[in-house]
Amino acid sequence: MAEILKVTNISKHFGGLTAVNDVSFSINEGETVGLMGPNGAGKTTLVNMICGSYGADSGKIEFMGKDITKLPPWKRCKLGICRTYQIPRPFPELTALASVVVSALHGKDRPNRSLEDASTEATHYLEFVGLFSKRNILARDLTLFEMRGLELARALATEPKLIFIDEVMAGLNPVEAEKAVRLIERAKDQFGVTVLWIEHVMAVLMRAAERVIVLHYGEKIAEGSPQEVANNPLVIESYLGKSENA
Amino acid sequence: MLVAIETTLIYTFLLGSLYLLVSLGFSLICGVLRIFHLGYAYIFTATIYFTWMFMSLFGWGLIPSIAAMLVIQAGIAIAIYKGLIVRYIKREEIIILGLLFVAIILEQSALRFYPIQAGVYLETTMVPGLSKIGQVTVSNQLIFAAILGIVVTGLFVLFFLKTKLGLAVRAISYDIYSSRLMGIQVERVFMFIMVLVLIPVILATLAIAPIWAVEPSMGWGYMIIAILVSVLGGLGNIRGTIIASYIIGFCNSVVGFVIAQPLYMGLSALIVVLIMLIVRPQGIAKSETVW
Amino acid sequence: MELEVKRDRLVLRAGGGKWEWHIEPRYWRNPLIYVSILIIAPVVVYFVYPSLLATVIDANLLAAIAIPLALMSIGTGRMNFGPQFYIGIGGYAAALLSIHFGLNPALTLIAAALAGIVFGFIMSPLSIIAGGLYYSLLTLLLPLLFLEVTFIFSDLFKGDTGLSGIAPLVSTGSFSLNLLIYAFISLAMMLFYLFIIDKIFRSRYAVQMAAINDDEEVANGIGVNVNKTKIISFIIPAMMVAIVGWFYAHYYGAFSGQTYLPLSFMLKVFMVTMIGGRTQIYGCIIGGYFIAFLEMILIRTTGGMSPVLFPVILLALLLVLPEGLFGLYRKHHYREYMPTLRFRR
Repeated sequence: MAEILKVTNISKHFGGLTAVNDVSFSINEGETVGLMGPNGAGKTTLVNMICGSYGADSGKIEFMGKDITKLPPWKRCKLGICRTYQIPRPFPELTALASVVVSALHGKDRPNRSLEDASTEATHYLEFVGLFSKRNILARDLTLFEMRGLELARALATEPKLIFIDEVMAGLNPVEAEKAVRLIERAKDQFGVTVLWIEHVMAVLMRAAERVIVLHYGEKIAEGSPQEVANNPLVIESYLGKSENA
Repeated sequence: MLVAIETTLIYTFLLGSLYLLVSLGFSLICGVLRIFHLGYAYIFTATIYFTWMFMSLFGWGLIPSIAAMLVIQAGIAIAIYKGLIVRYIKREEIIILGLLFVAIILEQSALRFYPIQAGVYLETTMVPGLSKIGQVTVSNQLIFAAILGIVVTGLFVLFFLKTKLGLAVRAISYDIYSSRLMGIQVERVFMFIMVLVLIPVILATLAIAPIWAVEPSMGWGYMIIAILVSVLGGLGNIRGTIIASYIIGFCNSVVGFVIAQPLYMGLSALIVVLIMLIVRPQGIAKSETVW
Repeated sequence: MELEVKRDRLVLRAGGGKWEWHIEPRYWRNPLIYVSILIIAPVVVYFVYPSLLATVIDANLLAAIAIPLALMSIGTGRMNFGPQFYIGIGGYAAALLSIHFGLNPALTLIAAALAGIVFGFIMSPLSIIAGGLYYSLLTLLLPLLFLEVTFIFSDLFKGDTGLSGIAPLVSTGSFSLNLLIYAFISLAMMLFYLFIIDKIFRSRYAVQMAAINDDEEVANGIGVNVNKTKIISFIIPAMMVAIVGWFYAHYYGAFSGQTYLPLSFMLKVFMVTMIGGRTQIYGCIIGGYFIAFLEMILIRTTGGMSPVLFPVILLALLLVLPEGLFGLYRKHHYREYMPTLRFRR
């Protein structure tokens, strides 16, 4: 399997606080990789750096063999990286359809795409996540689960090769959670995307991820299959703390 | 050469302190109320013309006129707060436009009733005459105004650091919602601030009225300075405003008195601010809070 | 015989019979009707009361400024508080070239447009580096500082009195006929701007701009080149407004920054936008006519008090109708999903 993302020694400091410290990993095509870690471990910062919202203070990011460390976010998107947001950030004044149309128009380099074509594409993605009936409703009027679906549709419409999915389970009840997991599995099958999944809920990663990376205080402390990671004492300590009579 | 340095130093001090007095209120309103009081210019015009109105229309003396003007200004400030700001707190552009309208209405009224030929003049000279500092001659009134600026700013800083109300104001500038949760009556504090910021402006206007020109559109020039100083110093931050006033004072004194091209003062100040915005967009201040 | 007017139909009852006639929205939503009204109106005014044509021209020009402003606001995601800066640029460019080099209006038009593009390009980085309120402040200051510059170089710009002796666009000998032709030119310009910007707002660029308006960071993340969009939607309206400045210069034959650069003119333009509903470009036309005629009526009825009363009335309007006349329309109809304008800190 080809390596599509290679992150080498990236760090990010915010003033005196080190959010990400010298992290390196790589992702192969077609994998589902999980990214775990307690709150504040630097997961979202890491994703922000790879997607381009923050610049990395040091280190290198290579995507499909190309060095993207200095590229602006929109160029990275056109190359094939996209993300969803932990707290959904829909375009509040746009309808669901319009939101996905924006991605469809701009995600991939197809300059001659017209509004009608993009709208048709967008409806396909909306149908995929099950929001076709809600396509003319303002994005901010959707329920949380629907907004997450919209985020996914919006990301998929940019025809990415790599998607970062940021804590999609937060706030969902078990039924919705199950639907979400299956939706992402179907997305992988149908669109052939590679997924980096940031998640707290272990059960999901156990089931869906082939490999898991664990961050703690900005450093990578473990990497391996979900079983290995779940039994790793360092990981357990980072989540639960040290035992009193160690 | 020595003259140039002396001129620069002296005028930096004088102009900087004066600009401080002028900008303090604008910066505070931005930082605490989080709105741009673009009608700020009206305070200058109102100070002069309401006082003059009482003096010429009712024949009162200077002190009673000033007192009456203070009352009216406080009333206007509260009316603006309740009528405009509270109602449209969610719609900033309406507040900004409304404030601009108030300023224009006052300016046009002053222009209509007291045109430039009417000879409006307020005899508020506290310290007449001129002094010679080194090689530079300056008006005593200007020195008085500068010292007044420093004293008032000092009082403001003391107020914000040492009193309970000042603490409330600082808290609000950090986080309005938490302040409300802590029991601070935010609306009352806002009203207090709206009236409080009138004081430095009124003092500044009264102090420099005898030496610099008085006309209905004088407010805009001072407002431009207040805006530039506030943007440079970081909106709402007193420390930043202090530093920024002296930077702009320095810039203006060099351009106006050393290079002797007073017309370029506004332009040079804008260029300084623009450069600062490119280098450090949030201004000099470390945070968007009062201190 | 009885005629009843209901919300969407007319009912005629006569002699025991009843005729209904439904009024379909497409009857009155046809833009041709309104364009025809706008075209016929100046002709009617010409024959009835020619000096009113000046107000009609004013109205068209105000609308012609407000329409590109809508594009600029939506495209950059910020509110430009100093659009009259570009009027000054275009007007002075046209005036200076006409007076000192004797260029005819067609050439000065190109020059004014170029000046608009150049200065738009120079100022456009502001829309990228300055955040919402800082941007508003700096754009507010720009025209005022331009005014100061005109006073500094007053031998060039003739300071207070302004430049005069600019070649007129039209001179047929008859004052009212001149006015009529000017009215048609201004109308053509406004309709042309309306047409272009309407097309832009219905195209894929509109969704792009709406996305930037709503959430810049997310838009950046899904592949929209935010900076390029902002710069282009800054430069094109700047050029359009500069052309309006060109018109002012040649229409009045004189141009003084004092008339257009201070805040009073800016507030007029903003009230035009506000009355029409902030981003409704069709509303700008209504706003333009409203403000122009309001000012004319005030000047004719109250004379000297009008500079005081005009802002008072505008302030009252602002407070009573925050959404403009469009707000009244919106209250009675369902929410229409169009890109709207937002502020950001």
